Amino acid sequence: MLYKIAVGSSDGVNVDLKFGEVKKFIIFEVDDKKRKLLEIRNVDNYETSAETNSCDNYEKGCGSSGCSGNGNGCNGATDVISKVEAVSDCRCVVCKKVGFQAQKQLERKAVSIFDIEGNVDKILEKIIDYYAKIDERRLNSRKNVEL
Amino acid sequence: MAKLLDKQRYKCALGAMQTVQAINRALPILHSGPGCAQKLSESTGSSGYFSPNIFPCTSINEKDVVFGGVKKLDSTIENALKVVDADLYVVLTGCIPEIVGDDTGEVVSRYADNDKPVIYAPTAGFKGNNYKGHEQVVDAIVEQYLKKSETKQKGLVNIWADVPYQDLFWLGNIRELEKLVSELGLIPNTIFGYKRGLDNIKKLPEAEFNLLVSPWVGLSTMKKMERKFGIPYLHCRTLPIGATETSKFLREVGKFAGVNEEKVESVIKEHEDYYYYLIERYADLFLENRVINKQFTVVADAQYSLGITKFLVNDLGLIPAKQFVVDDTPKAYRESITEEFKNLNFGIKAEVSFETDGYKIHEEIKNHDYHGYPLVLGGYYEKEVTENLNGNFLNISWPVQDKVVFDNFYVGYAGGIRLIEDIYTVAVSRFN
Repeated sequence: MLYKIAVGSSDGVNVDLKFGEVKKFIIFEVDDKKRKLLEIRNVDNYETSAETNSCDNYEKGCGSSGCSGNGNGCNGATDVISKVEAVSDCRCVVCKKVGFQAQKQLERKAVSIFDIEGNVDKILEKIIDYYAKIDERRLNSRKNVEL
Repeated sequence: MAKLLDKQRYKCALGAMQTVQAINRALPILHSGPGCAQKLSESTGSSGYFSPNIFPCTSINEKDVVFGGVKKLDSTIENALKVVDADLYVVLTGCIPEIVGDDTGEVVSRYADNDKPVIYAPTAGFKGNNYKGHEQVVDAIVEQYLKKSETKQKGLVNIWADVPYQDLFWLGNIRELEKLVSELGLIPNTIFGYKRGLDNIKKLPEAEFNLLVSPWVGLSTMKKMERKFGIPYLHCRTLPIGATETSKFLREVGKFAGVNEEKVESVIKEHEDYYYYLIERYADLFLENRVINKQFTVVADAQYSLGITKFLVNDLGLIPAKQFVVDDTPKAYRESITEEFKNLNFGIKAEVSFETDGYKIHEEIKNHDYHGYPLVLGGYYEKEVTENLNGNFLNISWPVQDKVVFDNFYVGYAGGIRLIEDIYTVAVSRFN
Protein backbone atom coordinates (compact mmCIF):
# COMPACT_ATOMS: atom_id res chain seq x y z
CA MET A 1 0.00 0.00 0.00
CA LEU A 2 1.30 3.40 -0.97
CA TYR A 3 0.97 6.21 1.53
CA LYS A 4 2.56 9.44 2.75
CA ILE A 5 3.75 10.60 6.15
CA ALA A 6 4.12 14.27 7.11
CA VAL A 7 6.90 15.03 9.59
CA GLY A 8 7.42 18.25 11.54
CA SER A 9 11.17 18.59 11.88
CA SER A 10 13.43 21.64 11.74
CA ASP A 11 16.59 19.74 10.78
CA GLY A 12 15.30 16.50 9.24
CA VAL A 13 16.98 14.48 12.00
CA ASN A 14 14.71 15.02 14.97
CA VAL A 15 10.97 15.47 15.31
CA ASP A 16 11.10 18.74 17.24
CA LEU A 17 8.30 20.99 15.98
CA LYS A 18 4.77 21.44 17.19
CA PHE A 19 2.10 21.23 14.53
CA GLY A 20 1.54 24.99 14.71
CA GLU A 21 5.24 25.79 14.41
CA VAL A 22 5.80 23.87 11.19
CA LYS A 23 6.52 26.01 8.15
CA LYS A 24 7.76 23.16 5.99
CA PHE A 25 6.53 19.61 6.33
CA ILE A 26 8.89 16.85 5.32
CA ILE A 27 6.78 14.42 3.32
CA PHE A 28 7.86 10.80 3.04
CA GLU A 29 6.33 8.30 0.70
CA VAL A 30 6.17 4.69 1.85
CA ASP A 31 5.66 1.74 -0.41
CA ASP A 32 5.80 -1.74 1.03
CA LYS A 33 7.99 -0.80 4.01
CA LYS A 34 10.42 1.21 1.81
CA ARG A 35 10.48 4.90 2.51
CA LYS A 36 11.75 7.73 0.37
CA LEU A 37 11.78 11.49 0.76
CA LEU A 38 9.07 12.79 -1.53
CA GLU A 39 9.13 16.53 -1.01
CA ILE A 40 9.52 19.41 1.37
CA ARG A 41 6.06 20.85 1.44
CA ASN A 42 5.90 24.53 2.14
CA VAL A 43 2.84 25.29 4.23
CA ASP A 44 3.67 28.97 4.71
CA ASN A 45 1.59 30.08 1.76
CA TYR A 46 -1.42 28.42 3.32
CA GLU A 47 -0.95 30.80 6.18
CA THR A 48 -1.15 33.82 3.92
CA SER A 49 -4.36 32.58 2.47
CA ALA A 50 -5.60 32.34 5.99
CA GLU A 51 -4.65 35.90 6.72
CA THR A 52 -6.80 37.14 3.93
CA ASN A 53 -9.69 35.43 5.59
CA SER A 54 -12.19 37.97 6.79
CA CYS A 55 -12.60 36.40 10.16
CA ASP A 56 -9.99 38.38 12.04
CA ASN A 57 -11.29 37.69 15.49
CA TYR A 58 -9.90 34.19 15.56
CA GLU A 59 -6.42 35.40 14.85
CA LYS A 60 -6.48 38.08 17.46
CA GLY A 61 -8.12 35.92 20.09
CA CYS A 62 -5.57 33.18 19.64
CA GLY A 63 -1.81 33.38 19.63
CA SER A 64 -1.42 35.09 22.98
CA SER A 65 -3.91 34.02 25.59
CA GLY A 66 -6.77 32.51 23.63
CA CYS A 67 -5.66 28.92 24.10
CA SER A 68 -3.46 27.33 26.71
CA GLY A 69 -0.49 26.93 24.36
CA ASN A 70 2.25 29.50 24.06
CA GLY A 71 0.97 30.38 20.62
CA ASN A 72 4.22 29.70 18.79
CA GLY A 73 3.22 29.88 15.20
CA CYS A 74 -0.42 29.44 16.02
CA ASN A 75 -2.62 31.86 14.19
CA GLY A 76 -5.98 30.56 15.25
CA ALA A 77 -8.58 28.21 13.87
CA THR A 78 -8.47 29.32 10.26
CA ASP A 79 -4.75 28.66 10.14
CA VAL A 80 -5.29 25.20 11.54
CA ILE A 81 -7.89 24.33 8.92
CA SER A 82 -5.73 25.38 6.01
CA LYS A 83 -2.68 23.60 7.41
CA VAL A 84 -4.68 20.43 7.95
CA GLU A 85 -5.85 20.76 4.38
CA ALA A 86 -2.23 20.88 3.26
CA VAL A 87 -1.45 17.46 4.79
CA SER A 88 -4.83 15.81 4.24
CA ASP A 89 -3.37 13.46 1.63
CA CYS A 90 -1.06 11.93 4.24
CA ARG A 91 -1.83 8.86 6.32
CA CYS A 92 -0.40 10.39 9.47
CA VAL A 93 1.26 13.47 10.90
CA VAL A 94 4.28 13.21 13.18
CA CYS A 95 4.92 16.28 15.36
CA LYS A 96 6.27 17.06 18.80
CA LYS A 97 2.80 18.17 19.84
CA VAL A 98 -0.54 18.69 18.17
CA GLY A 99 -3.07 21.11 19.62
CA PHE A 100 -6.67 20.21 20.33
CA GLN A 101 -8.05 22.21 17.36
CA ALA A 102 -5.68 20.56 14.93
CA GLN A 103 -6.30 17.10 16.39
CA LYS A 104 -10.03 17.38 15.80
CA GLN A 105 -9.58 18.71 12.27
CA LEU A 106 -7.08 15.97 11.41
CA GLU A 107 -9.46 13.33 12.77
CA ARG A 108 -12.14 14.67 10.44
CA LYS A 109 -9.79 14.10 7.52
CA ALA A 110 -8.93 10.63 8.87
CA VAL A 111 -5.29 11.57 9.33
CA SER A 112 -3.66 9.82 12.30
CA ILE A 113 -1.61 11.80 14.78
CA PHE A 114 1.62 10.78 16.46
CA ASP A 115 2.63 13.47 18.90
CA ILE A 116 6.07 12.32 19.86
CA GLU A 117 9.58 13.76 20.14
CA GLY A 118 12.74 12.03 19.00
CA ASN A 119 14.77 10.70 16.12
CA VAL A 120 12.95 10.78 12.78
CA ASP A 121 14.42 7.50 11.52
CA LYS A 122 13.58 5.56 14.67
CA ILE A 123 10.06 6.94 14.91
CA LEU A 124 9.28 6.33 11.26
CA GLU A 125 10.63 2.81 11.47
CA LYS A 126 8.13 1.99 14.20
CA ILE A 127 5.21 3.65 12.48
CA ILE A 128 5.93 1.98 9.13
CA ASP A 129 6.28 -1.37 10.86
CA TYR A 130 2.93 -0.80 12.57
CA TYR A 131 1.13 0.13 9.38
CA ALA A 132 2.66 -2.85 7.58
CA LYS A 133 1.18 -5.12 10.24
CA ILE A 134 -2.33 -3.68 10.01
CA ASP A 135 -2.29 -3.68 6.21
CA GLU A 136 -1.19 -7.29 6.12
CA ARG A 137 -3.97 -8.23 8.54
CA ARG A 138 -6.57 -6.39 6.53
CA LEU A 139 -5.42 -8.08 3.36
CA ASN A 140 -5.60 -11.50 5.02
CA SER A 141 -9.04 -10.98 6.48
CA ARG A 142 -10.30 -9.85 3.09
CA LYS A 143 -8.87 -13.01 1.55
CA ASN A 144 -10.60 -15.11 4.20
CA VAL A 145 -13.94 -13.52 3.46
CA GLU A 146 -13.53 -14.21 -0.23
CA LEU A 147 -12.72 -17.86 0.47
CA MET B 1 -15.59 -16.19 9.65
CA ALA B 2 -15.93 -15.08 13.24
CA LYS B 3 -18.86 -16.54 15.13
CA LEU B 4 -21.53 -14.30 16.60
CA LEU B 5 -22.53 -14.69 20.23
CA ASP B 6 -26.12 -13.72 20.88
CA LYS B 7 -27.10 -12.15 24.21
CA GLN B 8 -24.02 -12.95 26.24
CA ARG B 9 -24.35 -12.63 30.03
CA TYR B 10 -20.94 -11.42 31.03
CA LYS B 11 -18.42 -8.72 30.23
CA CYS B 12 -14.72 -8.83 29.50
CA ALA B 13 -12.21 -9.28 32.30
CA LEU B 14 -11.77 -5.52 32.66
CA GLY B 15 -15.28 -5.61 34.15
CA ALA B 16 -13.37 -6.54 37.30
CA MET B 17 -13.35 -2.83 38.04
CA GLN B 18 -16.66 -3.68 39.72
CA THR B 19 -14.84 -6.05 42.03
CA VAL B 20 -12.42 -3.29 42.98
CA GLN B 21 -15.33 -0.90 43.40
CA ALA B 22 -16.93 -3.33 45.86
CA ILE B 23 -13.93 -2.97 48.17
CA ASN B 24 -14.48 0.10 50.30
CA ARG B 25 -12.03 2.90 49.46
CA ALA B 26 -10.26 0.90 46.75
CA LEU B 27 -9.75 2.63 43.42
CA PRO B 28 -9.31 1.07 40.00
CA ILE B 29 -6.76 2.75 37.73
CA LEU B 30 -7.46 1.69 34.18
CA HIS B 31 -4.72 1.16 31.64
CA SER B 32 -6.97 0.91 28.63
CA GLY B 33 -8.60 2.83 25.85
CA PRO B 34 -11.22 5.36 26.93
CA GLY B 35 -14.04 3.36 25.35
CA CYS B 36 -13.39 0.19 27.35
CA ALA B 37 -14.39 1.62 30.71
CA GLN B 38 -17.32 3.48 29.23
CA LYS B 39 -18.75 0.33 27.64
CA LEU B 40 -18.42 -1.59 30.90
CA SER B 41 -19.98 1.07 33.07
CA GLU B 42 -23.70 0.37 32.82
CA SER B 43 -24.18 -1.38 36.13
CA THR B 44 -26.12 0.39 38.85
CA GLY B 45 -24.89 1.22 42.31
CA SER B 46 -21.67 2.94 43.27
CA SER B 47 -19.04 2.01 45.81
CA GLY B 48 -20.54 4.40 48.34
CA TYR B 49 -17.30 6.35 48.37
CA PHE B 50 -16.24 7.04 44.79
CA SER B 51 -18.56 8.04 42.01
CA PRO B 52 -19.48 5.00 40.00
CA ASN B 53 -17.33 4.41 36.96
CA ILE B 54 -15.40 7.67 37.06
CA PHE B 55 -11.92 6.30 37.40
CA PRO B 56 -8.42 7.40 36.41
CA CYS B 57 -7.70 6.01 32.95
CA THR B 58 -4.68 6.25 30.67
CA SER B 59 -6.99 6.63 27.65
CA ILE B 60 -4.37 5.15 25.38
CA ASN B 61 -4.63 5.74 21.64
CA GLU B 62 -2.91 4.79 18.40
CA LYS B 63 0.30 6.54 19.35
CA ASP B 64 0.62 4.38 22.48
CA VAL B 65 0.05 1.27 20.41
CA VAL B 66 3.08 2.14 18.29
CA PHE B 67 5.35 3.63 20.95
CA GLY B 68 4.06 1.98 24.15
CA GLY B 69 1.88 3.44 26.88
CA VAL B 70 4.22 2.97 29.82
CA LYS B 71 4.96 6.67 30.29
CA LYS B 72 1.28 7.52 30.33
CA LEU B 73 0.58 4.77 32.85
CA ASP B 74 3.33 6.03 35.12
CA SER B 75 2.00 9.58 35.10
CA THR B 76 -1.59 8.40 35.55
CA ILE B 77 -0.67 6.38 38.65
CA GLU B 78 1.49 9.20 39.98
CA ASN B 79 -1.30 11.74 39.64
CA ALA B 80 -4.04 9.41 40.88
CA LEU B 81 -2.01 8.99 44.06
CA LYS B 82 -1.82 12.78 44.41
CA VAL B 83 -5.43 13.57 43.60
CA VAL B 84 -7.60 10.66 44.75
CA ASP B 85 -7.75 9.69 48.41
CA ALA B 86 -8.05 5.90 48.41
CA ASP B 87 -6.73 3.08 50.58
CA LEU B 88 -5.85 0.68 47.81
CA TYR B 89 -5.04 1.38 44.16
CA VAL B 90 -5.58 -1.43 41.69
CA VAL B 91 -4.21 -0.99 38.17
CA LEU B 92 -6.29 -2.94 35.67
CA THR B 93 -4.99 -3.52 32.15
CA GLY B 94 -7.16 -3.80 29.07
CA CYS B 95 -6.45 -5.72 25.88
CA ILE B 96 -4.46 -3.07 24.04
CA PRO B 97 -1.57 -2.60 26.50
CA GLU B 98 -1.22 -6.35 26.91
CA ILE B 99 -1.14 -7.01 23.17
CA VAL B 100 1.36 -4.19 22.67
CA GLY B 101 3.41 -5.55 25.54
CA ASP B 102 3.47 -2.78 28.12
CA ASP B 103 5.19 -4.03 31.25
CA THR B 104 2.55 -2.93 33.72
CA GLY B 105 4.09 -4.95 36.54
CA GLU B 106 7.35 -3.05 36.20
CA VAL B 107 5.62 0.35 36.30
CA VAL B 108 3.55 -0.64 39.33
CA SER B 109 6.65 -1.95 41.12
CA ARG B 110 8.01 1.61 41.07
CA TYR B 111 5.30 2.40 43.64
CA ALA B 112 6.22 -0.43 45.99
CA ASP B 113 7.47 2.06 48.59
CA ASN B 114 4.35 4.20 48.44
CA ASP B 115 2.50 4.41 51.77
CA LYS B 116 -0.77 3.39 50.08
CA PRO B 117 -0.56 0.01 48.34
CA VAL B 118 -0.60 -0.06 44.53
CA ILE B 119 -1.15 -3.45 42.89
CA TYR B 120 -2.07 -4.59 39.40
CA ALA B 121 -4.27 -7.22 37.82
CA PRO B 122 -3.91 -8.31 34.19
CA THR B 123 -7.53 -8.17 33.07
CA ALA B 124 -7.24 -8.22 29.28
CA GLY B 125 -10.51 -9.24 27.69
CA PHE B 126 -8.92 -11.98 25.64
CA LYS B 127 -7.97 -13.75 28.85
CA GLY B 128 -11.57 -14.32 29.87
CA ASN B 129 -14.74 -12.73 31.16
CA ASN B 130 -15.41 -10.69 34.28
CA TYR B 131 -15.72 -13.84 36.42
CA LYS B 132 -12.07 -14.50 35.56
CA GLY B 133 -11.31 -10.81 36.04
CA HIS B 134 -12.74 -11.02 39.55
CA GLU B 135 -10.40 -13.90 40.30
CA GLN B 136 -7.48 -11.90 38.90
CA VAL B 137 -8.17 -8.98 41.26
CA VAL B 138 -8.42 -11.20 44.35
CA ASP B 139 -5.32 -13.07 43.16
CA ALA B 140 -3.49 -9.76 42.83
CA ILE B 141 -4.33 -8.86 46.43
CA VAL B 142 -3.16 -12.26 47.64
CA GLU B 143 0.03 -12.29 45.58
CA GLN B 144 1.15 -8.70 45.66
CA TYR B 145 -0.15 -7.27 48.91
CA LEU B 146 -0.58 -9.95 51.56
CA LYS B 147 2.11 -11.76 53.47
CA LYS B 148 1.94 -15.01 55.40
CA SER B 149 0.85 -14.51 58.99
CA GLU B 150 2.59 -16.40 61.80
CA THR B 151 -0.36 -15.92 64.14
CA LYS B 152 -3.83 -17.24 63.51
CA GLN B 153 -6.99 -15.82 65.01
CA LYS B 154 -9.12 -18.55 66.53
CA GLY B 155 -12.42 -19.06 64.73
CA LEU B 156 -11.71 -16.53 61.99
CA VAL B 157 -13.19 -17.60 58.64
CA ASN B 158 -12.78 -15.81 55.32
CA ILE B 159 -15.97 -16.06 53.32
CA TRP B 160 -15.92 -15.81 49.54
CA ALA B 161 -18.96 -15.77 47.29
CA ASP B 162 -19.64 -14.79 43.72
CA VAL B 163 -18.82 -11.64 41.76
CA PRO B 164 -20.02 -8.30 43.21
CA TYR B 165 -22.40 -6.28 40.99
CA GLN B 166 -22.50 -9.09 38.42
CA ASP B 167 -24.47 -10.91 41.09
CA LEU B 168 -27.43 -8.66 41.82
CA PHE B 169 -27.77 -9.91 45.38
CA TRP B 170 -24.05 -9.96 46.23
CA LEU B 171 -24.18 -7.60 49.20
CA GLY B 172 -27.23 -9.13 50.87
CA ASN B 173 -25.96 -12.63 50.17
CA ILE B 174 -22.55 -12.16 51.70
CA ARG B 175 -23.98 -10.45 54.78
CA GLU B 176 -26.42 -13.34 55.27
CA LEU B 177 -23.61 -15.87 54.89
CA GLU B 178 -21.66 -13.91 57.51
CA LYS B 179 -24.64 -14.04 59.83
CA LEU B 180 -25.13 -17.78 59.44
CA VAL B 181 -21.44 -18.52 60.02
CA SER B 182 -21.30 -16.26 63.06
CA GLU B 183 -24.27 -18.11 64.58
CA LEU B 184 -22.07 -21.20 64.65
CA GLY B 185 -19.72 -19.25 66.92
CA LEU B 186 -17.18 -18.49 64.20
CA ILE B 187 -15.89 -15.02 63.27
CA PRO B 188 -16.63 -14.21 59.62
CA ASN B 189 -14.26 -12.02 57.58
CA THR B 190 -15.22 -10.61 54.20
CA ILE B 191 -13.62 -7.86 52.14
CA PHE B 192 -16.52 -6.52 50.06
CA GLY B 193 -19.13 -3.91 50.89
CA TYR B 194 -19.98 -1.47 53.66
CA LYS B 195 -17.50 -1.14 56.55
CA ARG B 196 -15.21 -3.74 55.05
CA GLY B 197 -12.04 -2.86 53.25
CA LEU B 198 -8.30 -2.79 53.74
CA ASP B 199 -8.54 -3.75 57.44
CA ASN B 200 -10.41 -6.89 56.49
CA ILE B 201 -7.97 -7.59 53.67
CA LYS B 202 -5.10 -7.42 56.18
CA LYS B 203 -6.87 -10.00 58.34
CA LEU B 204 -7.17 -12.54 55.50
CA PRO B 205 -3.90 -14.42 56.26
CA GLU B 206 -4.83 -14.80 59.94
CA ALA B 207 -7.90 -16.90 59.21
CA GLU B 208 -8.23 -20.52 60.27
CA PHE B 209 -9.81 -21.42 56.96
CA ASN B 210 -11.35 -20.07 53.77
CA LEU B 211 -14.98 -20.76 53.02
CA LEU B 212 -15.77 -20.64 49.31
CA VAL B 213 -19.45 -20.65 48.41
CA SER B 214 -19.41 -20.88 44.63
CA PRO B 215 -19.41 -23.64 42.03
CA TRP B 216 -16.09 -22.51 40.58
CA VAL B 217 -15.38 -18.77 40.86
CA GLY B 218 -12.48 -18.24 43.23
CA LEU B 219 -11.40 -21.86 43.53
CA SER B 220 -7.98 -21.15 42.04
CA THR B 221 -7.54 -18.30 44.53
CA MET B 222 -8.36 -20.63 47.42
CA LYS B 223 -5.67 -23.03 46.22
CA LYS B 224 -3.25 -20.14 45.93
CA MET B 225 -3.95 -19.05 49.51
CA GLU B 226 -3.55 -22.60 50.71
CA ARG B 227 -0.07 -22.71 49.13
CA LYS B 228 1.04 -19.24 50.17
CA PHE B 229 -0.51 -18.83 53.63
CA GLY B 230 -1.14 -22.45 54.57
CA ILE B 231 -4.85 -21.74 55.01
CA PRO B 232 -7.06 -24.73 54.20
CA TYR B 233 -10.30 -24.17 52.36
CA LEU B 234 -13.79 -25.58 52.39
CA HIS B 235 -15.46 -25.56 49.00
CA CYS B 236 -19.29 -25.49 49.08
CA ARG B 237 -20.36 -25.72 45.44
CA THR B 238 -24.01 -24.96 46.06
CA LEU B 239 -25.22 -21.53 47.06
CA PRO B 240 -27.43 -22.53 50.01
CA ILE B 241 -30.97 -21.32 49.35
CA GLY B 242 -33.81 -22.58 51.55
CA ALA B 243 -33.87 -25.03 54.44
CA THR B 244 -32.51 -28.21 52.83
CA GLU B 245 -29.34 -26.76 51.42
CA THR B 246 -28.71 -24.27 54.22
CA SER B 247 -28.92 -26.99 56.88
CA LYS B 248 -26.52 -29.12 54.81
CA PHE B 249 -24.26 -26.10 54.48
CA LEU B 250 -24.23 -25.37 58.22
CA ARG B 251 -23.49 -29.02 59.05
CA GLU B 252 -20.65 -29.07 56.56
CA VAL B 253 -19.12 -25.83 57.85
CA GLY B 254 -19.64 -26.93 61.47
CA LYS B 255 -17.90 -30.25 60.82
CA PHE B 256 -14.98 -28.62 58.99
CA ALA B 257 -14.50 -26.02 61.73
CA GLY B 258 -14.91 -28.54 64.52
CA VAL B 259 -17.97 -26.89 66.02
CA ASN B 260 -19.88 -28.89 68.59
CA GLU B 261 -22.57 -30.91 66.80
CA GLU B 262 -25.25 -30.05 69.33
CA LYS B 263 -24.59 -26.37 68.79
CA VAL B 264 -24.93 -26.76 65.01
CA GLU B 265 -28.16 -28.72 65.36
CA SER B 266 -29.66 -26.18 67.74
CA VAL B 267 -28.92 -23.36 65.28
CA ILE B 268 -30.45 -25.38 62.45
CA LYS B 269 -33.53 -26.29 64.51
CA GLU B 270 -34.29 -22.72 65.41
CA HIS B 271 -34.10 -21.61 61.78
CA GLU B 272 -35.98 -24.58 60.38
CA ASP B 273 -38.79 -24.21 62.89
CA TYR B 274 -39.48 -20.68 61.76
CA TYR B 275 -38.95 -21.57 58.08
CA TYR B 276 -41.49 -24.39 58.13
CA TYR B 277 -43.86 -22.33 60.26
CA LEU B 278 -43.98 -19.82 57.40
CA ILE B 279 -44.33 -22.54 54.76
CA GLU B 280 -47.15 -24.22 56.67
CA ARG B 281 -49.08 -21.01 57.08
CA TYR B 282 -49.25 -20.78 53.31
CA ALA B 283 -49.67 -24.49 52.64
CA ASP B 284 -52.93 -23.86 50.81
CA LEU B 285 -51.06 -21.69 48.36
CA PHE B 286 -48.48 -24.41 47.70
CA LEU B 287 -51.08 -27.17 47.42
CA GLU B 288 -53.23 -25.27 44.95
CA ASN B 289 -51.83 -26.95 41.88
CA ARG B 290 -52.99 -24.36 39.37
CA VAL B 291 -50.86 -21.62 40.91
CA ILE B 292 -47.34 -22.77 40.28
CA ASN B 293 -45.85 -24.20 37.12
CA LYS B 294 -45.06 -27.87 36.75
CA GLN B 295 -41.60 -27.44 35.30
CA PHE B 296 -39.01 -24.74 35.53
CA THR B 297 -35.82 -23.57 33.83
CA VAL B 298 -33.06 -21.43 35.32
CA VAL B 299 -30.88 -19.39 32.98
CA ALA B 300 -28.11 -17.94 35.12
CA ASP B 301 -24.48 -18.21 36.11
CA ALA B 302 -23.34 -21.43 37.74
CA GLN B 303 -24.08 -20.36 41.31
CA TYR B 304 -27.71 -19.37 40.78
CA SER B 305 -28.44 -22.06 38.24
CA LEU B 306 -27.29 -24.73 40.69
CA GLY B 307 -28.52 -23.04 43.88
CA ILE B 308 -32.02 -22.28 42.62
CA THR B 309 -32.44 -25.66 40.91
CA LYS B 310 -31.64 -27.41 44.18
CA PHE B 311 -33.99 -25.12 46.09
CA LEU B 312 -36.94 -25.51 43.75
CA VAL B 313 -36.57 -29.30 43.63
CA ASN B 314 -35.64 -30.02 47.25
CA ASP B 315 -37.78 -27.42 49.01
CA LEU B 316 -40.67 -26.70 46.66
CA GLY B 317 -40.92 -30.06 44.93
CA LEU B 318 -40.91 -28.72 41.37
CA ILE B 319 -39.59 -30.69 38.40
CA PRO B 320 -36.58 -29.31 36.55
CA ALA B 321 -36.66 -28.93 32.79
CA LYS B 322 -33.28 -28.20 31.20
CA GLN B 323 -31.10 -25.78 33.18
CA PHE B 324 -28.63 -23.39 31.58
CA VAL B 325 -25.30 -22.20 32.93
CA VAL B 326 -24.35 -19.05 31.05
CA ASP B 327 -21.12 -17.84 32.69
CA ASP B 328 -18.78 -19.64 30.30
CA THR B 329 -17.61 -21.97 33.08
CA PRO B 330 -14.07 -23.22 32.40
CA LYS B 331 -14.13 -26.77 31.03
CA ALA B 332 -12.20 -28.19 33.99
CA TYR B 333 -15.07 -27.44 36.38
CA ARG B 334 -17.98 -28.49 34.20
CA GLU B 335 -18.04 -32.15 35.11
CA SER B 336 -18.20 -31.60 38.87
CA ILE B 337 -20.96 -29.00 38.43
CA THR B 338 -22.95 -31.36 36.18
CA GLU B 339 -22.66 -34.01 38.91
CA GLU B 340 -24.11 -31.58 41.46
CA PHE B 341 -27.16 -31.09 39.24
CA LYS B 342 -27.78 -34.85 39.47
CA ASN B 343 -27.52 -34.80 43.24
CA LEU B 344 -31.10 -33.77 44.07
CA ASN B 345 -33.68 -35.12 46.50
CA PHE B 346 -36.25 -37.76 45.53
CA GLY B 347 -33.79 -39.22 43.01
CA ILE B 348 -34.49 -36.38 40.60
CA LYS B 349 -31.77 -35.45 38.14
CA ALA B 350 -31.55 -32.17 36.27
CA GLU B 351 -30.14 -31.88 32.80
CA VAL B 352 -27.76 -28.96 32.46
CA SER B 353 -26.26 -27.21 29.46
CA PHE B 354 -23.24 -24.93 29.52
CA GLU B 355 -24.43 -22.55 26.84
CA THR B 356 -23.50 -18.92 26.29
CA ASP B 357 -25.54 -18.28 23.17
CA GLY B 358 -28.89 -16.71 24.05
CA TYR B 359 -30.46 -17.67 20.74
CA LYS B 360 -29.80 -21.38 21.27
CA ILE B 361 -31.11 -21.19 24.84
CA HIS B 362 -34.32 -19.53 23.68
CA GLU B 363 -34.81 -22.12 20.95
CA GLU B 364 -34.52 -24.90 23.52
CA ILE B 365 -36.98 -23.18 25.86
CA LYS B 366 -39.45 -22.75 23.01
CA ASN B 367 -39.15 -26.36 21.91
CA HIS B 368 -39.45 -27.94 25.35
CA ASP B 369 -42.78 -29.28 26.59
CA TYR B 370 -43.24 -27.80 30.06
CA HIS B 371 -46.59 -29.62 30.55
CA GLY B 372 -48.28 -26.26 30.92
CA TYR B 373 -46.82 -22.81 31.00
CA PRO B 374 -43.16 -22.60 31.97
CA LEU B 375 -41.50 -20.97 34.97
CA VAL B 376 -38.30 -19.28 33.83
CA LEU B 377 -35.85 -17.67 36.22
CA GLY B 378 -33.18 -15.86 34.27
CA GLY B 379 -31.81 -12.63 32.94
CA TYR B 380 -33.93 -9.93 31.40
CA TYR B 381 -33.29 -11.51 27.99
CA GLU B 382 -35.66 -14.33 28.94
CA LYS B 383 -38.59 -12.04 29.68
CA GLU B 384 -39.84 -11.80 26.13
CA VAL B 385 -39.48 -15.46 25.24
CA THR B 386 -41.26 -16.46 28.47
CA GLU B 387 -44.08 -14.01 27.87
CA ASN B 388 -44.56 -15.38 24.36
CA LEU B 389 -44.98 -18.82 25.92
CA ASN B 390 -47.45 -17.34 28.40
CA GLY B 391 -45.13 -18.41 31.24
CA ASN B 392 -44.02 -16.93 34.54
CA PHE B 393 -40.76 -15.03 34.56
CA LEU B 394 -38.53 -13.83 37.38
CA ASN B 395 -35.40 -11.75 36.76
CA ILE B 396 -32.70 -13.17 39.03
CA SER B 397 -29.48 -12.88 37.06
CA TRP B 398 -27.59 -10.39 34.92
CA PRO B 399 -28.79 -8.45 32.94
CA VAL B 400 -31.34 -6.95 35.30
CA GLN B 401 -33.83 -4.43 34.00
CA ASP B 402 -37.03 -4.79 35.98
CA LYS B 403 -35.75 -4.93 39.49
CA VAL B 404 -33.99 -2.72 42.02
CA VAL B 405 -32.04 -4.56 44.67
CA PHE B 406 -30.30 -2.74 47.51
CA ASP B 407 -29.43 -5.47 49.97
CA ASN B 408 -32.02 -8.13 49.33
CA PHE B 409 -30.72 -11.71 49.28
CA TYR B 410 -31.68 -15.25 48.36
CA VAL B 411 -29.16 -17.08 50.49
CA GLY B 412 -29.94 -19.01 53.66
CA TYR B 413 -33.29 -19.74 55.28
CA ALA B 414 -34.53 -16.16 55.06
CA GLY B 415 -33.30 -15.90 51.47
CA GLY B 416 -35.27 -19.00 50.52
CA ILE B 417 -38.41 -17.37 51.89
CA ARG B 418 -37.61 -14.19 49.88
CA LEU B 419 -37.29 -16.26 46.70
CA ILE B 420 -40.59 -18.05 47.38
CA GLU B 421 -42.23 -14.66 47.91
CA ASP B 422 -40.84 -13.38 44.61
CA ILE B 423 -41.80 -16.47 42.60
CA TYR B 424 -45.30 -16.69 44.03
CA THR B 425 -45.84 -12.97 43.60
CA VAL B 426 -45.30 -13.52 39.89
CA ALA B 427 -47.35 -16.72 39.89
CA VAL B 428 -50.43 -15.40 41.67
CA SER B 429 -50.48 -12.10 39.83
CA ARG B 430 -51.49 -13.85 36.59
CA PHE B 431 -54.86 -14.71 38.17
CA ASN B 432 -55.64 -11.11 39.05
